[in-house]
Amino acid sequence: MRKLGQLSAMGLAALTALTGCGLSGGGTGAASKVADTNQRIVVDNFRAPVANWALESDAAYILSLSGCLETLTKYDSAQGKVVPFLATEWKQASPLEWDFTIRDGVKFQDGTDLTAESVAASLTSVLNAKVPARAFSPSIVSKVEATDANTVRVTTPSESPLVPFRLASVNTGILAPAAYQGATVDPFGHCTGPFTPVSEKAKQSLTLDRNGNYWGGDVQLAGAEVRFITNGATRATQVQTGEADISLSIPASALSSLENAPEVSVLKADSPRTATLYMNNGRAPFNNVDFRKSLRSALDLEALAASVYEGAALPAAGPFAPSEPWAGTASAPQQDVEEAKTLLAAAGYTADRPLEIIAIVERAEFADVATVIQDNLKAIGVPVSIQAKEYASAEPDVLAGNYDMILSQRNRLIDIADPIGFLTADYTCKGTYNLSHFCNQEYDDVIAQAARTSSTEDRYKLYAKAGEILDAEAVNLWLVNEQATDALRSSVLNYVQDPLSRYVLTAQTSKSGS
Amino acid sequence: MLTFLAKRTATLVAAVLLSSYAVFLIPYVTPGDPVRKIIRSRVAGDVVDESTVKALSDSLGLQDPLPVQYLRWLGDFFTGDMGLSHISRTPVADQVIPALGITLSLVIVALGTAVVVALPLGIIAALRQGGRTDKMITTITQSFIAMPEYWLAPLLVLVFALKLSLLPSAGWSTPASMVLPAATLALRPISFFTSAVRSGVIDALEAEHIPAARARGLSRTQTILHHVVPNGLVPLSTLFAVWFAGLLGGSVIVEVIFAIPGMGRLLYDAVINSDIPLAQGGVVLVVGLAVAITTLADFLHRILSPKVGGTLA
Repeated sequence: MRKLGQLSAMGLAALTALTGCGLSGGGTGAASKVADTNQRIVVDNFRAPVANWALESDAAYILSLSGCLETLTKYDSAQGKVVPFLATEWKQASPLEWDFTIRDGVKFQDGTDLTAESVAASLTSVLNAKVPARAFSPSIVSKVEATDANTVRVTTPSESPLVPFRLASVNTGILAPAAYQGATVDPFGHCTGPFTPVSEKAKQSLTLDRNGNYWGGDVQLAGAEVRFITNGATRATQVQTGEADISLSIPASALSSLENAPEVSVLKADSPRTATLYMNNGRAPFNNVDFRKSLRSALDLEALAASVYEGAALPAAGPFAPSEPWAGTASAPQQDVEEAKTLLAAAGYTADRPLEIIAIVERAEFADVATVIQDNLKAIGVPVSIQAKEYASAEPDVLAGNYDMILSQRNRLIDIADPIGFLTADYTCKGTYNLSHFCNQEYDDVIAQAARTSSTEDRYKLYAKAGEILDAEAVNLWLVNEQATDALRSSVLNYVQDPLSRYVLTAQTSKSGS
Repeated sequence: MLTFLAKRTATLVAAVLLSSYAVFLIPYVTPGDPVRKIIRSRVAGDVVDESTVKALSDSLGLQDPLPVQYLRWLGDFFTGDMGLSHISRTPVADQVIPALGITLSLVIVALGTAVVVALPLGIIAALRQGGRTDKMITTITQSFIAMPEYWLAPLLVLVFALKLSLLPSAGWSTPASMVLPAATLALRPISFFTSAVRSGVIDALEAEHIPAARARGLSRTQTILHHVVPNGLVPLSTLFAVWFAGLLGGSVIVEVIFAIPGMGRLLYDAVINSDIPLAQGGVVLVVGLAVAITTLADFLHRILSPKVGGTLA
């Protein structure tokens, strides 16, 4: 048996910081408060299910954060590794096969038993979706089958050490067979988690009751209401008024008022999102590394983070957030105008035309970010024009290499809790989302090696090496790392912040009496 | 009467066809690939697999020529089938009808409030024409025009939810949750309605039959109640219908701020996500209802106001 692995002490510490270990709630005076198991809790979530309850969609996040949906494995932020959940152990049976042992004694909320057959059927349903989830699609997984009463085998088309990570993705949540009887997925009464969904107000909220037969111990809340509030200011207001107990993803504009509000705590953690100025490495003048480095030296990232992001983001030290276990030890680059001018001269740059920054309109702050960059680059003699565009209208030109610079932001861990997908798609020569048109054989070799590496620790070292190459080549200008910010009332107890908002309500989450 | 109804029915059909075709074209005339937009709506993220694009495009029939796609939708629509949402794969009717119900409730309460407030203000202003009261009412109500919803809504939330804790800040679960969004939507109509009532009453006061009514021995109050106010209401009926039709699909800002799952939000999301069947279903309902309401208003206007023609030809 080959369980995935032990992380280095450094990695553990780093992940702990990344994922907010030590940021558990509640707020003021929480230590002296006592949990009341008759309490219900209200969570304001930032998204609503758009694709009904299809597990390949964002709905899986909502079901997971609500304490309904559970997966075979779970990414434990505090330990920094994949740990057992509905599967108790797993092993790589052959280069293309992984076997997962299903936990005994687990029942779905409809009273039926969790079996290897039901797990295989549930995962196969995800695999067969018309629009499959990135974490678990037919291009990555060939087959899922029950090999005996307690074992599920996952077969991959090529050797993949990341299968246990994929099965921690919320998109691979397990539902009872009855959930798949209709035309659409029905999670009501068909999950295994501590909370059972009992009613839904379309586009408004999901109400859940305690699952009295939860396999993971006594559930500390009587129930919950998860509201779908897409407007950040409204979420911030509701936690201040006490209409919500927990509000997820608080916008920067509301931070100062919440931080001064009575009975409210604000929790922050690094998110896996870095606002980035992508540069077209495939054409002049960006095909010159000295030119790219000169732009990096010209930027004042601290001022950018403090002004545009109002302290809700920190200057980026490279392609990764500093607290990620695969991040290097470099600190954020400091503005050095003289060095920038020297590098610019070395690059032989002449300002024969203004360079264009595309600021996508979907991120309102990018207009201001572009203006700050424009000012910084003007100081070293690089004229810049700014064009605001919808991302959809910019994308064809960007992918085709017909652009100078574009401000964008990607989630490194959007599919699984490992950056391999991001590093492959965005920076390898054949990457399907290589906006910067960067191509470096050494980098590609490192990523290919990482994709074959089973040891988590060794793989993270390879990611760090890949990051160093990207940084040394100044492929893009990594601007700021956004912070995941949640707010909660002081009555909320045992809340552990998850920067990706996958796990919000657990059996341990509780609330003191009023 | 029949001619009037026939003309209006033809208008209704033409409006529905035109608007549904215009909505149908939106994903194709705006930047970006509609299929990719659909996929990104289902599985959030930027990287889209080409094989998935092709498979989805085939399964939704999006490879067919645009006229074929539109006629297919039209044929289904006339048999009562509004189709399935591209994103959720659930019947469009199951989404648009509840959303329309919510927006109708919101709009009726908002415009009802506006009428209740504007009517006495407009009448008082007209009766005190040129005086201090008239000027005060006119100045205050005209200032409402300059209060956009994206500014007014947070202000009301700040005062009534956050500071005074009197009303919920968002949601659509209790009558109390309707107060702030309805108030936000009502303010600008109050301004227009007050002005319309004031003008209507002033016109009625200057009509020739008013001195005759007083000469017949009617008191001033009786004259105002029976001869002035009804005539003053005539312009309000048309204005009310226009606002009603406009707010059915145009209350998106208020619906987003107050987390109301109404028609404005539904249409906005459908267009952004290239969910063509959902957008078409929503627009057809809104446009159809808007044409029906303005027809009804015209009908009432013709009955109430002999000056318009007195016949329904």
